[in-house]
Amino acid sequence: MKLTKFGAIGAIGLAGALALVGCSSNSNTTPTSAATTEAPAAPTGLDAIDPTLKGTITAGGSSAQANAETAWTAAFTSVATGVTVNYDKSQGSGGGRSNFIAGAYDFAGSDAPLSADETTQAAATFPGGAVNLPIYLDGVSVAYNNADASSLNLSTATIAKIFSGKITDWSDPAIAADNGGKALPAKKITVVVRSDSSGTAQNFTNFLAAADPTDWTWPGSGTFPADITGTDAVKGGGAVHDEIAKVDGAIGYLDHSAVGDVKSATVNGVAPEADAVAAAFSDGFTIASNGVKGDLSGKFDYAKITADKSAYPIPLVSYAIIPLKFKSADQAKLTVAYLAFAASEDGQKAAASKASSVPLPQEILDEINATLATVE
Amino acid sequence: MTATTPAADGRAPGTPGGPTGAAHYLGKPPSKAGDRTFLGLSTGAAWLILVILAGVAIFLIIKAAPAIAANWATSPQLNEPVANTPGFDSFWAYVGPLLFGTVWASFLALLFGAPVAIGIALFISHYAPRRIAGILGYLVDLLAAVPSVVFGLWGILVVRSFLGPLNDFLNEYLGWIPLFGGQVSAGGGTILAGAIVLAVMILPIVTSISREIFLQTPALHEEAALALGATKWEMIRLAVFPYARSGIISAILLGLGRALGETMAIAMIVSPKIIVSFRLLTDDNPGTIASNIANQFSGANDLQRDALIATGLLLFVVSFAVNFLARWIVSRTSVQSNGRAPRRARARREVTA
Repeated sequence: MKLTKFGAIGAIGLAGALALVGCSSNSNTTPTSAATTEAPAAPTGLDAIDPTLKGTITAGGSSAQANAETAWTAAFTSVATGVTVNYDKSQGSGGGRSNFIAGAYDFAGSDAPLSADETTQAAATFPGGAVNLPIYLDGVSVAYNNADASSLNLSTATIAKIFSGKITDWSDPAIAADNGGKALPAKKITVVVRSDSSGTAQNFTNFLAAADPTDWTWPGSGTFPADITGTDAVKGGGAVHDEIAKVDGAIGYLDHSAVGDVKSATVNGVAPEADAVAAAFSDGFTIASNGVKGDLSGKFDYAKITADKSAYPIPLVSYAIIPLKFKSADQAKLTVAYLAFAASEDGQKAAASKASSVPLPQEILDEINATLATVE
Repeated sequence: MTATTPAADGRAPGTPGGPTGAAHYLGKPPSKAGDRTFLGLSTGAAWLILVILAGVAIFLIIKAAPAIAANWATSPQLNEPVANTPGFDSFWAYVGPLLFGTVWASFLALLFGAPVAIGIALFISHYAPRRIAGILGYLVDLLAAVPSVVFGLWGILVVRSFLGPLNDFLNEYLGWIPLFGGQVSAGGGTILAGAIVLAVMILPIVTSISREIFLQTPALHEEAALALGATKWEMIRLAVFPYARSGIISAILLGLGRALGETMAIAMIVSPKIIVSFRLLTDDNPGTIASNIANQFSGANDLQRDALIATGLLLFVVSFAVNFLARWIVSRTSVQSNGRAPRRARARREVTA
């Protein structure tokens, strides 16, 4: 008797949960259909998804874009109910790329595009070669915790000096100079970094290496340079957030989407807001193709970004890597449909609301879809 | 039935074995289908462990070889800044500090954990009332069931903050000792915090093995010591410790084996660098092999993964050697104890209770 009672309660709970899920996906779809009725010519986003699609997409890699993948999967499978998407974020970007090259994935998520070596290896697995498509954009926040500073502005050079250990105290004149000459009380700076390798560190150090090579003498690196001592290294972005929140005087780098209740410094006067990050992408993202037709891998030109006073100078981009020629045409159709949704306005909006990412500009989305159209 | 069984040679399927007395079992064992199957299964299981071990070793060696042989100074793959392998002259320059960190963290854990574990074991075997001893033994064994990621969380959320004032105190007043010198960690990600959590993690294995050894102390030895007028503590010193010495050593070595391979807790608690440092209270701690693999593997390229696997091979060799040493000491003990005819705990308890 008791068991059936509990079973009934469980069933009601489950039904409630399902109803809630239904609600949330509904609230996603309503504005979409309203938007597309205005321009019925070429359906994009949710309306473009073929509900009769069936199959399983196997993918994995970057944990930075994992929340966005979850948002895309939820929205995509709410229309194409016969599709399952398995995105394994435990692999990390490097693991995603090597599993992709080994042929285990339909696409890989990676914070870095395929290297020259990997491009050659991928061409051996997939006769048409593989392309990198930037589908996820976010900013890297310089997050801090200092009870004496309700807001903080840092210049590129000051950030480089703090993270390389040349500035160790909050009362340093360089920090005062960045904040209108008002010096902060003396307090030790605790630099919090990631002990594991991450796309966040890669993009952050790329920025420092390019924007201030005199103070930052290391190359852009997925692992924070191990020879900088005195840093508090913790494992994972969540732990960086917690450490900054706990330690008064701490500063560190975090995906903007993971900042939460911790304060972000403005960099050269620009806050890491969505518009500023999108402006940085439009200004500075320079496509540096790997030689495969349709490849959209690129580098940020930080000189162009810092020249724009409204652009946030530390953007972070993450790629989906797919072959141009799949082994099976059905699998190609399925994967292309999924990524076309991710690279649609709807998809980018879904990721922005669920994963706090920044929607990519329409021009690059068009280019991604042009490449996807050639995948077979 | 009993008459026909030997004639049928026990081979006919469905023939019940029957209680034919001891003589039946002393001769050629009856090889019925069930017996043969079980023999095959258990033999297979025993060989499987060897095959698995050999397979792991071969995998590690094959994967590790290119990274150990590579020229670390010039290899473009190893110097690609996606993991922490760039900037080292050779594999040994890379793995050396990591090996040091592994051994140093484990040593500290043993330093803190082993005395406590032996104390618990002694309390359970010789001091506690029987009922409390049972519960306590059970609780200590339960510690072994806590996942290491939970220990890691406990370390981050509780131990690190808890040690903060102690870190400051030690650094301020004893900072002239190199062990406590340097810039004290603000977040608390020190190797001291890591070693304390590690010490708790090795408690169960060290305690349970020591307890078993203490319980095996021949009751005659204990009675003799007491009869000569020894106090309880003197009796333990005179009779229990000498008898259990090698058992304690092997328990500690098995605890060391556990500590060497611990990954998640250390990766979560300790702020690692690739350095050799004895300082306990700073953010610049030597990383351990296992936690370094966990941190670097996801970003690493192929050759860097091989390099990480090579560090794993070294850890495998060290752990294997430590375990081997421990087992060897245990086996030596049990040969000696056969001559002394140890009596079981039940007998001892009847005497002392």
